Amino acid sequence: MGLIDRLVVVATKFVSLLSTSFGLGAGETWPGEIALRLRPDIASTLARSLSDGVILIAGTNGKTTTTLIVKTILEHIGDTVVHNASGANLLNGIVSSFIRNSDWLGRITADVGIFEVDENSLPILLRVMAPKRLLLLNLFRDQLDRYGEVDVIAEKWEKAIKKLPKSTTVILNSDDPGIAAIGRSVPGNMVFFGLNKPKEYLKVPEHATDSTFCPNCGKRLVYDGIYYSHIGIWRCPSCKNKRPTPSIHTWPSPLPGLYNEYNTLAAVALAKSLDLGDTEIRKALHGFSPAFGRQEEIEVGRRQVKLFLSKNPAGFNASLRTVLEMGAKEFLIVLNDRIPDGRDVSWIWDVDFEMIPKSARIVVSGDRVYDIATRMKYAGHTVKTEPDLSAALSASNGKLYVLATYSAMLEVRKILKGRKIL
Amino acid sequence: MKKNVRIAWLYPDLMSTYGDRGNVIALQKRCQWRGIPSEIVPVTLETNVSVLRTTDIIFMGGAQDRQQKLAGEDFLKRKGPVVKEMIEKGTPALFVCAAYQFVGKYYKPYQGDPIPGAGIWDLFTVHPGDQAKRLIGNTVAEIINPPELAGTTIVGFENHGGRTHLGSGMLPLAKVIRGNGNNGQDGYEGATYKNTIGSYFHGPLLPKNPKIADWLISKVAGALAPLDDRLEQQANAAVRSL
Repeated sequence: MGLIDRLVVVATKFVSLLSTSFGLGAGETWPGEIALRLRPDIASTLARSLSDGVILIAGTNGKTTTTLIVKTILEHIGDTVVHNASGANLLNGIVSSFIRNSDWLGRITADVGIFEVDENSLPILLRVMAPKRLLLLNLFRDQLDRYGEVDVIAEKWEKAIKKLPKSTTVILNSDDPGIAAIGRSVPGNMVFFGLNKPKEYLKVPEHATDSTFCPNCGKRLVYDGIYYSHIGIWRCPSCKNKRPTPSIHTWPSPLPGLYNEYNTLAAVALAKSLDLGDTEIRKALHGFSPAFGRQEEIEVGRRQVKLFLSKNPAGFNASLRTVLEMGAKEFLIVLNDRIPDGRDVSWIWDVDFEMIPKSARIVVSGDRVYDIATRMKYAGHTVKTEPDLSAALSASNGKLYVLATYSAMLEVRKILKGRKIL
Repeated sequence: MKKNVRIAWLYPDLMSTYGDRGNVIALQKRCQWRGIPSEIVPVTLETNVSVLRTTDIIFMGGAQDRQQKLAGEDFLKRKGPVVKEMIEKGTPALFVCAAYQFVGKYYKPYQGDPIPGAGIWDLFTVHPGDQAKRLIGNTVAEIINPPELAGTTIVGFENHGGRTHLGSGMLPLAKVIRGNGNNGQDGYEGATYKNTIGSYFHGPLLPKNPKIADWLISKVAGALAPLDDRLEQQANAAVRSL
């Protein structure tokens, strides 16, 4: 790194430190934003300063948890890691995480960077840094008003991936047809992960599917088994395109839920591509604890509250299925429509709320409480409508399962923990 | 025994993007709650048009480009002409977003030739270029046609690039109070023709605007008993006060 770059890092680090000590904000994004304004190329310079390179992780669902699993594994073997805070997954958030991890001479002392990347930002990131590993988890419909259509994102990704150097190994989900199809454009090595677990096949497909048509020829795909949404054992009867055979397909997941089995498989596939052994990975994942708002458990007095960030139909269905398997009887569903949640709340009609048994006690809350209450009415549930989130949180007797959108989850945690976390 | 109301859901696997399912759920539930038997009939690529002919209400929703292309070929060649015939005979129908554009005469993308629509309705849509803003956001409008619904305040969420212009054979559904509506210029939203309605509002449209749902159902089942719509009205009011 040159002197000017290091000066910029130190200066933004200093300002950021001042700001956080005066309680002006956590500095997750704006130190990076300032640094980028001063030195537009700083992201690639910072990335090059890492001795072991950069790992990028993208996908609609599971980014934060997967990033945390990868980080846990690499830290276990002694790597020093730079990683971005959940939600700070645009270029400015990633540069901010470098700045936070620099020393006062503006040097980056970490070995490796592990970053979760926003769907829209991935092509931009790939232009400024060629990662050593790129992990693509899945693509589901999510905040169509902000991200646009799933196919359009897949197309942009593929275009950016075509230009990667051969040194980038790309790790792909074989069970998501749209992700697996990107394999045709990868210049370097590829690793596939997928799930071989026929007993988890769905009996009735979910409504919220995005990609049941062949990415090559456009004909309808046939599924020998569906795990959730459009994720499963797919093949095209027309052009013979089919699910690539995954090299990693079984691994004990440290967290409940089928979607976490995928997050684990993805992280393990990545770790193995870095020549880590099974024993090491297993040891690293022993006692793994979940990321913020992802199956996090909070004790409030004598009551237990379990949090499930649920922000799009596929993720919501996965959360619902997991909490039902855990025996949930009391639910709080919180729907907000702020920028991080997506302004359009239409997606709640694609969630299969009908799967909740009629005996469950359900309270709804959030900025769009009447929207979610109406949705529940049409799903056949009688719910308590409680616009006041604090009151909604104290309405339960037993263990409360909270399913909430992003900004709603922040509010829930603030109320339960009495302070702001992010 | 009351008549079984069969709700055709056109291309549920292809044209269903913005919570469109909510519209068919609303139709079905609002029949059920009144003791009117009803069922949802999925009509997709492989479905024979003879099945479509047995249905009483038609719904078709939004789509992504690739899916719309797949559905488009089938609709133009096979289902479209049957839908046209049914609409002319008075079958109620609802077309939202991409479907609303698609029942028109054509869609002119910003590059390339116009894409022909099914020509069921007298309207066309133009995409003004990739520099033009997509029309996105919460919306409020007041119904002006059909007369039975006039004065009703409807709410939704719009998200479209194309600008739709109505021909002389069509009546605008509503006057925009907030948002852009058909084209962001003439102040109108949606369209109506005989017993059919088209709109850019998803959200989805029917649950928060139950009067439109009941208007469609009444065309098949006759006069309807009132339902307790307080929750739906609160959801509607919440969008108006955003």
